[in-house]
Amino acid sequence: MTVHFINRDGERLTATAKEGESLLEVVVNQNLGIDGFGACEGTLACSTCHLIFEEDVFQKLDTITDEELDMLDLAYGLTDTSRLGCQVCVKKAMDGLTVQVPVEVADMRRELEVENSKIKG
Amino acid sequence: GGVCVWGSARRPGGRYFPGAPSTYRASSSLPDEKKEFLQNGPELEDFVSGDFSDKSMWTEYKGNLKRQKGERLRLPPWLKTEIPVGKNYNKLKSTLRSLNLHTVCEEARCPNIGECWGGGEYATATATIMLMGDTCTRGCRFCSVKTAKNPPPLDLNEPYNTAKAIAEWGLDYVVLTSVDRDDILDGGAEHFAKTVSHLKERNSKILVECLTPDFRGDLKAVEKVALSGLDVYAHNVETVPELQRKIRDPRANFKQSLQVLKHAKKVQPDVISKTSIMLGLGETDEQVYSTMKLLREADVDCLTLGQYMQPTKRHLKVEEYVTPDKFKHWEKVGNQLGFHYTASGPLVRSSYKAGEFFLKNLVEKRKTKVI
Repeated sequence: MTVHFINRDGERLTATAKEGESLLEVVVNQNLGIDGFGACEGTLACSTCHLIFEEDVFQKLDTITDEELDMLDLAYGLTDTSRLGCQVCVKKAMDGLTVQVPVEVADMRRELEVENSKIKG
Repeated sequence: GGVCVWGSARRPGGRYFPGAPSTYRASSSLPDEKKEFLQNGPELEDFVSGDFSDKSMWTEYKGNLKRQKGERLRLPPWLKTEIPVGKNYNKLKSTLRSLNLHTVCEEARCPNIGECWGGGEYATATATIMLMGDTCTRGCRFCSVKTAKNPPPLDLNEPYNTAKAIAEWGLDYVVLTSVDRDDILDGGAEHFAKTVSHLKERNSKILVECLTPDFRGDLKAVEKVALSGLDVYAHNVETVPELQRKIRDPRANFKQSLQVLKHAKKVQPDVISKTSIMLGLGETDEQVYSTMKLLREADVDCLTLGQYMQPTKRHLKVEEYVTPDKFKHWEKVGNQLGFHYTASGPLVRSSYKAGEFFLKNLVEKRKTKVI
């Protein structure tokens, strides 16, 4: 199956996923260029595999557990269609799925810095 | 691609001559600039003697140091190290096995192991012991220590056994550190404190540093450790405030970490406080300087700065390899700001040569209230 990840810089990464693989496993196994993703190796002890789904796909995902919710709550840039990638397993109906890797604090500041230096310079 | 130097035939008295017979690609087929490169490049002896990290080559390093989009930076020469050897190192290594101690030095494969265990000019050997297991309850994006929601329970005999082993080991300066244990009520503070007090009972002369977690901001836990009899209280802020959210677990933050350091001093004014930051994660010079000022204002005594290195592909990429000269600059800044000790270098880590005479000296001075 095919899954698309929109990386933080806007680049679209396309990967092959096996049915039953978690989205974190897809990123790791397919060597996708998303760094700092899955720091706790899928043990629900961090929120670095935070992904944003499209509304209609989000509704069809398996119900979120309390453990996932606890960690998801800590994620930066949380949205109403956010989930942790290590807890979402690929199903046949998800073929062609597109997910967004959330932008982080530092990146936005970097952009602002660049903008500011352009104004000053 | 390219010709392998090993394949060249060495003439007596000799430099490598392009065109010498070899089983590898004939160098006469190389472009002129490559021929020149080979002729002026390293000899077989350079590889064998280990002079490859010769400092004069550092300034000539032309590789990229700041990461561009999509690339992964290559390791610059000043981050390559020698294989550890030496009398002290070997002695410590063999004693460790028999005493069943776990060092983060070995577990994390720290490149400085030879230097620290060897002891410096004053033969003050330092080692960093890991307490409370090797599994952490948090997942930070710079750290490759194993993570689990519920790591194995604490070994209640660990404080006693560890203290006994360290005392027997004959170390001058020991750093006790641990993983985060958010699953334990006091975060492991009591466990830490017991280890220190047992140790001091057995050997009052040994200098003890505790590199603690933030205990989720639980200041009572900080107090427990600060009053255990230790000499140096260390807790790492890891990075500038602007990058905390990106690189550390969300349960950690700058303000909380600073509070830990301040509180240790508050409840135990004789203690020396210490912290560490990693460079190369995308911080700016202004941010580093401002962070150093904040730390000094919080009366943090010692500061260490080192280069972040990506442990696995799941962790953050290195944004920049900071040059040795730049690290020296920060050392000067640290000294100017009034830190008692600023250890700054690419391979410097929190406990790097912590036992060196310099620091030992400092602690002794404190004891006699000269400072």
